[in-house]
Amino acid sequence: MTKEQLTRHIKENFSAELDVIENEQPEPYFIIKADNLVKFCRFIHDDPGLVMDFLMNLSGVDTGERFEVVYNVCSYRLKHRIYFKILLDRQNAEFDTVRSVWPAADWYEREVWELFGMNVRGHPNLTRFLLPDDWDEGHPLRKDWVGKDVIPFPER
Amino acid sequence: MAEQLRTEEMMVNMGPQHPSTHGVCRLILTIDGEVINDCVPVIGYLHRAIEKICENRTYAQCIPLMDRFEYVTAMSCNWVFALAAEKLSDIEIPERAEYLRVIMAELNRMASHLLCIGVTSMDIGALTPFLYTFREREMILDLFEMTCGQRLTYNYIRVGGVSRDIPPEFVPMCRQFLDIIDAKVDDYERVLTENPIWIARNKGIGIIPEQMVYDYAISGPSARASGVNFDIRKHDTYSIYDRFDFEVPVFYGCDSYDRYRARIAEVRQSARIVRQALDGLPDGPVRAKVSMNFKTKPGEVYTRIENSRGEMGINLISDGSRKPFRVRARGGSYNHLMALPDIVRGTKIADLVAIFASLDIIMPEIDR
Repeated sequence: MTKEQLTRHIKENFSAELDVIENEQPEPYFIIKADNLVKFCRFIHDDPGLVMDFLMNLSGVDTGERFEVVYNVCSYRLKHRIYFKILLDRQNAEFDTVRSVWPAADWYEREVWELFGMNVRGHPNLTRFLLPDDWDEGHPLRKDWVGKDVIPFPER
Repeated sequence: MAEQLRTEEMMVNMGPQHPSTHGVCRLILTIDGEVINDCVPVIGYLHRAIEKICENRTYAQCIPLMDRFEYVTAMSCNWVFALAAEKLSDIEIPERAEYLRVIMAELNRMASHLLCIGVTSMDIGALTPFLYTFREREMILDLFEMTCGQRLTYNYIRVGGVSRDIPPEFVPMCRQFLDIIDAKVDDYERVLTENPIWIARNKGIGIIPEQMVYDYAISGPSARASGVNFDIRKHDTYSIYDRFDFEVPVFYGCDSYDRYRARIAEVRQSARIVRQALDGLPDGPVRAKVSMNFKTKPGEVYTRIENSRGEMGINLISDGSRKPFRVRARGGSYNHLMALPDIVRGTKIADLVAIFASLDIIMPEIDR
């Protein structure tokens, strides 16, 4: 499906609200309500016109004001992809695990939990991952986290 | 008598320093005799915080960091990052640069597959194929060295093109290499493909059913050895790959043996692409004008390219300044290691080494 067809198909068939963001990239871009996340993932995974069976990437983002979680999903069978994300409050950021839809989310979510300090509801294995076992210096990928010996790059 | 013997589970640490883990990876194995009941990968030994460092560097300074993201195919890493930055700006890439990128990335893919095949055979106990494949890999590294002065971390593909043109001796030397590589791959096949020991160690070992490919987002030759016909170069094409005539080898054995065969077949296909690219190589500039303070438009993009170990992607978020706002690098090995416990459960320890090698896992790509 082309970008327009995909966008229309998802907007017409998904029962809850979602925002479409226009951009120049080849894939459609949505913003989902965090409460609908699992429902949306289940929908795009199971819908015979979409068959999003391949979770390419999942990244946490700290914009300074809020947290975001970006999902890049594609279909191995139908060769199309979409880009969507959820927005979270910076205080008590929590979102649901999508391991039940794509088991590959397991490690991606662990990484988001560790490096951003967002809580992943329903994830059974939130333990130290990339950082050392005795790490107690917070969540490094947050924007307000600055390493001890980091010289900030000059803004010009 | 044997049935009455009581057996007990035992925990064994494989790694972090183990010659066959291709990096620093620790596997906590729960074994019952020789049989693996559970396997827990422990990663992070090579974590260098590349993503965090990128947020404090300009785009040009990020490219050498990307070399370290996955140093066996550093050309692809450079490329995927440059591609992401270019998608968020209006740079026109010169034709010659596109061809050079394809040539370098395909040569790099061949070098990486040769490494994988050689190292897999060495892990299983056959030293000779390792020496053979490294002999040819050396020729590729010589080509890279004469182009950009480096043998492993090239910093060659930049935003807007490539860092410099190839020297005049490159094309004849590359053709010379392509002339022999097909015969050499035949040699490897003669040593390995029909070798009864190789077959016994690989066939039916490390089964990845098709469903597991989808579940764990396994990509690249490992997915194509399980019957999934997907190659980003063909099905989500980027750069100028649509101009070349090549096939996507797909195998249906789902085992280590077919993953090896998929790699062998890809080496041949890559040689085909390089040959076509050398024939079509146009003259002209190799780099668009990109200022030192290069800025992208604000926006978000996910780019991916077909790397030798699967999909390599960059999720780049830019706020319009001269530094990336957020970079998330995705490598194929990450998902392969994630799937490893499911693959090896119930197999023998000795097979674990063969399976690990056949997945072509490279640790820096996972730890970043």
